[in-house]
Amino acid sequence: MQSTWDLLVSSLWPLVSGALVGTIPLALASFALGLVIALGIALARLSRNRVLSGAARVYISLVRGTPLLVQLFVIFYGLPSIGIKIDPWPSAIIAFAINVGGYAAEVIRAAILSVPKGQWEAGHTIGMSRAQTLRRIILPQAARVSVPPLSNTFISLVKDTSLASLILVTELFKQAQKIAAFSSEFLLLYAEAAVIYWVICLALSSGQNVLEKRLDRYVAH
Amino acid sequence: MKSSRLALIGLVAATALALSGCAPAEPDLTTGGGDTAAGDDTSLADIEAAGEIVVGTEGTYRPFTFHEGGAGDLTGYDVEIIEAVADKLGVEVKFEETQWDAIFAGLDADRFDLIANQVSINDEREAKYDFSDPYTVSPGVVIVAKDNSDISSLADLKGKTTAQSLSSNWYTLAEENGATVETVEGWAQSIALLEQGRIDATLNDKLTYLDYVAVKPDSADLVKIAAETDDVSRNAFVVAKGSTTLVDAINEALDELRADGTLAEISEKYFGADVSQ
Repeated sequence: MQSTWDLLVSSLWPLVSGALVGTIPLALASFALGLVIALGIALARLSRNRVLSGAARVYISLVRGTPLLVQLFVIFYGLPSIGIKIDPWPSAIIAFAINVGGYAAEVIRAAILSVPKGQWEAGHTIGMSRAQTLRRIILPQAARVSVPPLSNTFISLVKDTSLASLILVTELFKQAQKIAAFSSEFLLLYAEAAVIYWVICLALSSGQNVLEKRLDRYVAH
Repeated sequence: MKSSRLALIGLVAATALALSGCAPAEPDLTTGGGDTAAGDDTSLADIEAAGEIVVGTEGTYRPFTFHEGGAGDLTGYDVEIIEAVADKLGVEVKFEETQWDAIFAGLDADRFDLIANQVSINDEREAKYDFSDPYTVSPGVVIVAKDNSDISSLADLKGKTTAQSLSSNWYTLAEENGATVETVEGWAQSIALLEQGRIDATLNDKLTYLDYVAVKPDSADLVKIAAETDDVSRNAFVVAKGSTTLVDAINEALDELRADGTLAEISEKYFGADVSQ
């Protein structure tokens, strides 16, 4: 029978490696892909084209109106019955990216709208097209505004990746479940996993501060 | 075919809903997950005083513990047996449904008095918990895709992939035989993964398999039994270590139910044979 301390020490590396090879890459890949989707959806939503903005509204409504766990299960366990079989990792990344896309689209849209109208007019005055103004003047300022809410989205995502344990992805929480199942030390292992998630999120918060300071230089004061 | 797909999607959605309803086991930090203190055994007296016994069960493991018609009342072989036992003890049963992985954590955290979920008796579990007398005796089976000819014994699992619930005896057995084990929440996911060709095999109770193909004849064309395990599994109710008075009372009730034919009757109802001994 292992002592509690021994178990804590011996389980530390499996949990940390679960974070390193599972949780963190999963969160990074899904977030990167999710941001691309989000920018597209946000621009579509702001577009004057009715069809485009309507489609973007439906997307956002669907993503925010259904639980992430259900989205994961539909993609992994549901789609094979209509002939679409996606492996666990890509399934997880797709589900999380679609989810981030829906939430972050609203963040980006709000950030773009928060840039004063005068900035658009200034761009036009010096002969820039709408696209040029957006890329060179509006988006850099919107980026600064969107850092705090996007950080929220990312931090939520890091924790949501624990759901991937339910579709065969081995990450931090799955490692904790495995060790807990065999040692029967549930409180210890789940608390240990919680602390590791917390440490990751603390690091992300400090990253957020750095990013905020750096992006301040783009903002007209 | 179409209706079976719809049924599967429904099953997936229902499972998803069930899972999202009972989020992963978060231990209750205020009470801690400590064991029952050794010494004074009040297990039976506590239940009698409360007038009810709180039973942890999955509710998604046909035919042992499931919902009639999918969304109806909780029923099943284990459910009926514990109800009959509680009747003998003169207490009500209160079922708490949770996923398999969280069941032992729930018992540790004192959320249930007892687990009724086809728990097989094994050495590790006996070290940590107390068991009643067994009320089911049945062999385990290796289930594979119909067209699979690679696997015809437990030894053939070496290097193959199976899907099992964490902390189940099937998990241990698959791993001992050299299989790579994917962990899932229960039988429903295991069989879905097998039918989708994502895994090579899954191990489970023969009774579960027989019931499954009886209810879902389409699946009989997709999967088959490749091998039976040598040793039969003996399944029993699980209680916290040291609950001797409770176990004694349950065993006495089981003896009476065996003698008056109730166990055989419940067994016949679900399996068409007496699997209770």
